[in-house]
Amino acid sequence: MNRVGFALKWFLFVWMVVVIWAAFMWIPSAEGFKGESSRIVFFHVPTAWVATLAFLVSCIASGMYLWRREPKYDFGAAVSAGLGLLYAVLATVTGAIFAKIMWGAYWNWDPRQTSITILLLIYAAYFALRSAVADPEKRATLSAVYSILAFVTVPFLMFIVPRIYFSLHPDVMTNADPDNSLDSAHLIVLLASLAGFTGLSVWLYSVGTRIEKIRHRRRQEVL
Amino acid sequence: MSDLTGIMAVTMIIWIGLFAYVYRLDRKVSRLED
Repeated sequence: MNRVGFALKWFLFVWMVVVIWAAFMWIPSAEGFKGESSRIVFFHVPTAWVATLAFLVSCIASGMYLWRREPKYDFGAAVSAGLGLLYAVLATVTGAIFAKIMWGAYWNWDPRQTSITILLLIYAAYFALRSAVADPEKRATLSAVYSILAFVTVPFLMFIVPRIYFSLHPDVMTNADPDNSLDSAHLIVLLASLAGFTGLSVWLYSVGTRIEKIRHRRRQEVL
Repeated sequence: MSDLTGIMAVTMIIWIGLFAYVYRLDRKVSRLED
């Protein structure tokens, strides 16, 4: 582990400790929300953001694999899709907790909840596909094509569908109404949380791809 | 201790645990790479 990497990891640790403290202790509870439910935004929005980013990286890595045919891009696509799936589950869980506090039920089949469920199923199928094909090259090619097709649905399911239909989901980030937008203190903590979650994802991606490379190298040695 | 402090403490423990796990995994992967 080099010095810069070492410093960045400990910087991330301290950064997230401060973000967690600020999210619960520094920021006052937002008006218009029941109890302390508004604080979940500091964890829900970053997980949804990082899930979208991870699906994008998986799509790009898949395209790179189809172009270059190098296994490292296949590892990148698989690790990134896994991270995306994990963060999408976390976004769904945090969203369900918010729904329970605000609307009295964990699940309401709101357009946002329905669309993220479809997205989770699409990316779960990606891993079903990967586990169903034994030949590494065929698996990599098929899953790369699938990953690109799967990403086509992401903008529709994450951004377009929830805005076409009536949704209970708060839309403070993209709302043009100044009376219904985040104040500066909330925005600072939210952006700091987004940066922290993105940094954590980059680290997890790095560790995941390195593990896949070691597995690949060991398989090559056995053959 | 208020509910909010309790939730913050749980969140903090989850973060510290996750960081420690990934940090150890990172070091182990680095050793295997050498």
